[in-house]
Amino acid sequence: MADLSALPGGKSPWQSAARFGLYTLLLIFAAYYILPLIVVLSTSLKDLDEIRNGTLLSLPSEINFDAWGYAWNEACIGVSCTGLKPYFWNSVAMTIPAVLISTLLGALTGYSLTKFKFKGANLIFAMILFGCFIPFQVVLLPMAQSLGYLRIANTVPGLVLVHIVYGLPFTVLFFRNYYVNIPDDLIKAATIDGAGFFMIFWRIMLPLSPPIIVVTIIWQFTQIWNDFLFGASFTTGGGQPVTVALNNLVNTTTGVKRYNVDMAAALITAAPTLVVYVLAGRYFVRGLTAGSVKG
Amino acid sequence: MMSLMTQKTIPAKQPLSDWFRRNVAKLVVAPTFGLIIFFVYGFIAWTGYVSFTKSKMLPTYSFEGFYQYIRLWKMTPWNVAMENLLVFGSLFILIAIVLGCLLAIALDQKVRAEGVLRTVYLYPMAISFIITGTAWKWILNPGLGIQSLMQSWGWESFAFDWLINSEMAVYTLVIAAVWQSSGFVMALFLAALRGVDSEIIKAAYLDGASLSRIYLVIILPTLRPVFLSCFFILTHMAVKSFDLVVALTGGGPGYSTIMPANFMYEMTFRRNQIGLGAASAMMMLATVMAIVIPYLYSELREKKNG
Amino acid sequence: MASLSIQNVKKSYGAIEVLKGIDLDLEDGEFLVLLGPSGCGKSTLLNMIAGLDTITDGEILIDQNVVNDVHPKDRDIAMVFQSYALYPNMSVARNIGFGLEMRKVTKEDREKRVDEAARMLQIDHLSDRKPAQLSGGQRQRVAMGRALVRDPEIFLFDEPLSNLDAKLRVEMRTEIKKLHQRLGTTMVYVTHDQIEAMTLASRIAILREGEVQQFASPQEVYEKPANMYVAGFVGSPPMNFVPAAVVSEGGKLGVSIERTANGNRSSVFLALPNDRQDIGDWVGRNVILGIRPETLTHRSDAEISLNKGLQAFDCQVEVLEPTGADTLTYIELGGREVIARVNPYNTTEPGETMAFMVDMGKASLFDPKTELRI
Repeated sequence: MADLSALPGGKSPWQSAARFGLYTLLLIFAAYYILPLIVVLSTSLKDLDEIRNGTLLSLPSEINFDAWGYAWNEACIGVSCTGLKPYFWNSVAMTIPAVLISTLLGALTGYSLTKFKFKGANLIFAMILFGCFIPFQVVLLPMAQSLGYLRIANTVPGLVLVHIVYGLPFTVLFFRNYYVNIPDDLIKAATIDGAGFFMIFWRIMLPLSPPIIVVTIIWQFTQIWNDFLFGASFTTGGGQPVTVALNNLVNTTTGVKRYNVDMAAALITAAPTLVVYVLAGRYFVRGLTAGSVKG
Repeated sequence: MMSLMTQKTIPAKQPLSDWFRRNVAKLVVAPTFGLIIFFVYGFIAWTGYVSFTKSKMLPTYSFEGFYQYIRLWKMTPWNVAMENLLVFGSLFILIAIVLGCLLAIALDQKVRAEGVLRTVYLYPMAISFIITGTAWKWILNPGLGIQSLMQSWGWESFAFDWLINSEMAVYTLVIAAVWQSSGFVMALFLAALRGVDSEIIKAAYLDGASLSRIYLVIILPTLRPVFLSCFFILTHMAVKSFDLVVALTGGGPGYSTIMPANFMYEMTFRRNQIGLGAASAMMMLATVMAIVIPYLYSELREKKNG
Repeated sequence: MASLSIQNVKKSYGAIEVLKGIDLDLEDGEFLVLLGPSGCGKSTLLNMIAGLDTITDGEILIDQNVVNDVHPKDRDIAMVFQSYALYPNMSVARNIGFGLEMRKVTKEDREKRVDEAARMLQIDHLSDRKPAQLSGGQRQRVAMGRALVRDPEIFLFDEPLSNLDAKLRVEMRTEIKKLHQRLGTTMVYVTHDQIEAMTLASRIAILREGEVQQFASPQEVYEKPANMYVAGFVGSPPMNFVPAAVVSEGGKLGVSIERTANGNRSSVFLALPNDRQDIGDWVGRNVILGIRPETLTHRSDAEISLNKGLQAFDCQVEVLEPTGADTLTYIELGGREVIARVNPYNTTEPGETMAFMVDMGKASLFDPKTELRI
């Protein structure tokens, strides 16, 4: 909003006090949000003795990445002690194709539903949109059965299929809302110029789409990477994605409780989405607001 | 003569390519739509059907009426789960909205380092609930977490054992869920605040309204759609919440913190009660729909009127 | 170049009929303007000619070929859009050449033709710019270039000037006129601006609620409007409508107009020229008299002696609006506000009585019930 305090009559002792209060409030909540990250990070860098003898907020006396190495290579998940590594790559192998395919399908569908409107296009959109609102519990059981029939239960391709299907309503929503604001005249002009459906998509629409592509990819990436429900429901053992493995690691009760390893494992699991968020956070925010306020 | 000319200049008709050109959009939408029809509508129908059977480990298809629903509502864990959902959901939604809105207004006062603060408030959104749960479990554990921190600072009598207290454990879910989601609410409000017409604010300022009055009387009422959006999104998150419970409390102590989603998972995948699992899933769907349908209806009506 | 024939074309969306049977025939090289307010169906008709909208009923023929089912790209037409519809991701040169590229014109040929079109429109120095870097007028030229380069049989324009400021609009109007004169290509132009229609068209079709009100040359539309709607739509300030009665006085046919001056009711008799004897049947009935402001001006006896159609009367002046060249003088006739166009040096003060004359030879008479021209 307009900076009213800079206007004449805006400066007074009361105003300064309000300003001080404002910054205090902002900083207290900044601490609420940032402290857990600091605590987790510093715990992951301590050794077990230091954890037991120190407090939550004490900083590690020396930077020690042992827990990180252990979490990555050796930690036991269930009965196999392979560390998070194989599960991390499961997640990578699951996330990348699922993100790309659901984004492409979403773009093509959004394009068709807005720029080549046919009878019933709005109804089809509404029916697809409904998929955004269902609690996934209503599809877990039949999905588990179907994956079995398709012989892709407990495999990465199985999870890719699941994530494509249930990501589609969101990608279609994003692209449809973006494309609906691109003037129809462009399509008409290109049609008269002699370009067909795919030519227009390739030469006109896609070059205009980077903002929404970035938004959709970030959204899908965080959703799929962070998924736990589907991973826990449809995979066991070595087929699990990293979120499920992390939970198993943390809740494995045998042996000594290595809090530093738990925290390192949590950070490893969080790293990809955090990196994406730090690098492209601006688009992330824009995507959240565009997708959820308008949708 | 006329017909001769017609044949000369009009390109020869190619029925197949003409048909393709007319229907290409439908053909492109078909796979997506087909997937949704099968995997969303088909599966819901299947789950709905199974919820009316006595299926245990394997689905059976003889219709048994509301047997599973009656059974479901007689089970203590399900009732606890629904109560938890109500307590957790209302607190989580209320606090996240109030906090998010407050932070957005605070950030909207031309503060220094706004970008950094925004990033700090929002980053939890990028993280999985499993990680959030793991982190807060560590912070809240009475042995080495906040309780021991306070005690080591000299507050010997400080007790903060909510995580292992079956009366209080559900509130730890609220703390963690608010931590994860209020930044997102803040982002929605901030975007909307930035969209408020600054001339209205200037006009109110000229009329002599104070800053707090401007917000209360002029700006917040225009944000009604954002309040609605947040309410709806957070409700949706609350009903779906599953991972946070698994990671933070594991549903415990006992089953004091389970949510409907955990109940459903437990029945379906651990106890081979898929009929009961299906019935609980349908109850969850009904809960979400009870909130979503009026919301969508009002949205659509507004769009039509506007 | 091509002729265009629109035969009983109808368009409906569900139960809503947007076009109710349009018949228009256009010779090769004509400039047709579809004129009407927004929502009259003119843009729909243009889209149907382009092939961007389906035809519910009737036929559209380009060069005697029915094109109802022909794809837009095979109709050999080019279109300039109101929003210009420039491809934001392509340079000016790419924009202009895209249609040729789609038609698989060789790169060399394409570059030559793009260059030629750009030079013709004086945008050759902008070839590498993106549309976002251009001013409104420049974008407009690129949009025209895109149409021009294809050398189509028919040019279609959809309100191409409505997004420009007033000065540029006049400039571009002249450019389009010049273009038509140079190329001689058939053009169809949609607008709601009657001045654009008058200046550009060889024939104007005025549409209202999906029906053609009049299809004629600009001069005929102006002088002999088919009905009160057309009369009111074309011309600025619009034609004055005055309720009157047809009377026969001393053997002369004329109209009698009621008016109130200084609280006294009186009537003015204005004789019609002798060639309006066809009006005889209407004696004793009410009509609407249509007078263009420029045919109503201050009295000049010299002119009256030369033109038998001029009729004089006195009237009190109510408001004066100087426009520079003329002063719009408001008077009251038949209970209506009437505008006269008066030389600024012959006006008087508001409230005073002034001598006027009206050219009844140029007046129109309308049936008050059907609003049609008599």
